[in-house]
Amino acid sequence: MKQSALSIDDLREAVMRLPDDSLTATREAALASLDEQGFPSIRDEDWKYTDLSSAIDVSNRWLAQGAKTESTDALRKSIKAITASIDAHWLIVANGIVDLTCFGEPADIEVEKFSDSATPFVMDRPLADLNAALLHDGLRVQVHGATEKPLGVLLIDETSGGAGVTQANVDIEVAPGCDAEIIEYQVSSGSEDHYANSVIALQIDQAAHVSYVRIQNRRAGHIQTARLSVALSADARLNMASYDLGGGLVRNDVDIDINEAGADATFNGLFLAGDGQHIDNHTRVEHRVGPASSSQEYRGILNGRCRCVWNGKAIVHKGADGTDANQANHNLLLSDHAEIDAKPELEIYADDVKCSHGTTVGQLDETALFYLRSRGINKRQATQILTHAFAADLVARAPVATAKDAITALVEKRLGELIKEEDL
Amino acid sequence: MLEINNLKSRIGDTEILRGLSLSVNAGEVHAIMGPNGSGKSTLAQVIAGHDDYVVTGGEVTFMGKNLLDLEPEERAREGIFLGFQYPVEIPGVNNAYLLKAAVNAKRKHQGLGEVDAFEFLKVAREKMALLGMDPKFLNRGVNEGFSGGEKKRNEILQMAMLEPSLAILDETDSGLDIDALKAVAEGVNTLRAPDRAIVLVTHYQRLLDYIEPDFVHVLSEGQIIRSGDKSLALELEEKGYDWVREAANA
Repeated sequence: MKQSALSIDDLREAVMRLPDDSLTATREAALASLDEQGFPSIRDEDWKYTDLSSAIDVSNRWLAQGAKTESTDALRKSIKAITASIDAHWLIVANGIVDLTCFGEPADIEVEKFSDSATPFVMDRPLADLNAALLHDGLRVQVHGATEKPLGVLLIDETSGGAGVTQANVDIEVAPGCDAEIIEYQVSSGSEDHYANSVIALQIDQAAHVSYVRIQNRRAGHIQTARLSVALSADARLNMASYDLGGGLVRNDVDIDINEAGADATFNGLFLAGDGQHIDNHTRVEHRVGPASSSQEYRGILNGRCRCVWNGKAIVHKGADGTDANQANHNLLLSDHAEIDAKPELEIYADDVKCSHGTTVGQLDETALFYLRSRGINKRQATQILTHAFAADLVARAPVATAKDAITALVEKRLGELIKEEDL
Repeated sequence: MLEINNLKSRIGDTEILRGLSLSVNAGEVHAIMGPNGSGKSTLAQVIAGHDDYVVTGGEVTFMGKNLLDLEPEERAREGIFLGFQYPVEIPGVNNAYLLKAAVNAKRKHQGLGEVDAFEFLKVAREKMALLGMDPKFLNRGVNEGFSGGEKKRNEILQMAMLEPSLAILDETDSGLDIDALKAVAEGVNTLRAPDRAIVLVTHYQRLLDYIEPDFVHVLSEGQIIRSGDKSLALELEEKGYDWVREAANA
């Protein structure tokens, strides 16, 4: 099947309707680049499991409707509920519009809009081009010191009146020696058709430590493509955990660049998928120098008719001796119709390296299930207990304490939905 | 309490129980002995309801109910407890959580409300002290990283909390050193009661020095070939299983 094409003329019109400001030149350059490169297609190795046709269709419908984005009446209420549930300095991008009303006045975090900033931003991938072309505005954040509350980045979409397409772009730098906690929360409701495309860049300066949690809880059927690029300087540390709970078609790209020695990146992920969901986690770690270490563990729980992808790539460049890279992916398939494509990839060009990878795909342990049932616990509850235990380990690893209760509640709720009475 | 009549069962294509009959009354302690492969563990698993074992004939009733119609969890709630030969490790499931879920499942079945959390912990700690278990085991994953002896004590702890009418203890003595064996036996002895029956499945006579049975049965090739009192166990210890088999065939 041929992938539909983005209506580039309609897109050009939409770009021209955006405010004429300091971003105009970048938008136009991004548009030209997108026109040349097109959308990623399943013919590209990196996209062979994830077909973006539906994202293109939603975009074309949105463009045909005049690229209008109207907020639902409930948007403010949703924002309030989330920002109240997790105490943080919240930077918000609501339906593509930056919003600083829940940020407060932290002494050690500086924020400016892209449109007010002298620093240009450069994008070179098709989805980043789309992001730059249609970007209303972005946020540049600098964390200078320890803050009493985490930094929150809430990307919320709640549009009404037909298809919606939104872009978010946040650029964060954590200054040398700083400890920072960051929460990224992507959520949506509203119109049935929505495509959200985000780009977040995180620079962790020398000896700075970042604890990062990502929560994705979009409405069923909604499309998300999200790129998170993290660059680590000497002795910098990243401890991250991602939780993918909702959405229809979700593609997360996590790129980690280890640019200087002594850096350590630990990033884990949990994805829960049910009927109609497609969740694709692509991770890529570039070990450019050593010694340095990276470690990732992604776990998936799949039920019903769904498909998930985990593709973990580690590239150890020539001369990056003393690299220690580990990757693991474990999946629990609770239905015959669930599919996981798990692909660990190692490219090693250095001599003195330690790399490991492991992938498992399986069902619940029958012996454990019988053990619980023999204690009077019914099959449904036993299945739930064992599935929760599989997820609980990754919930326990959420590195931002403030967000843990919210994550626990969201994971429990989603698992409750996934394991239904009629399945058992 | 438990009536087994001409029970036949297979796993895969292998017939293991070949017409086994046994009657267990309240207050009694039965020991089922036999060589490896005689069907002892199969009997325990069939009574608990493991679906790998297919019942091909015979009847099993428990307190007048047809046991074979019930799911494993229903059997447990009716008052049957199986102490596993190899207790399963379940990382991520808290030991106290499992105990409480099990107790509450049974209480719900009996039409009672959920157990009071404070009272539950108090009782659990008392029973653990009796079994020589460190209370910190409550907060560990179920059997996760437990030694052989700790796992078996944990089984007896579950039994003590669930207060079953019929407890089947499958090779509870295997892999235990003498101190652990004594602690486990003591735990079982305190659970002997006029309204409770206990079936000990064991390969060796050793356990029976500490838990004195009322009846001893010898299982061979899926059938009980001889029954007697505790002296039968001693005789077995002395003369071996071949002796009973030869006597049965004669």
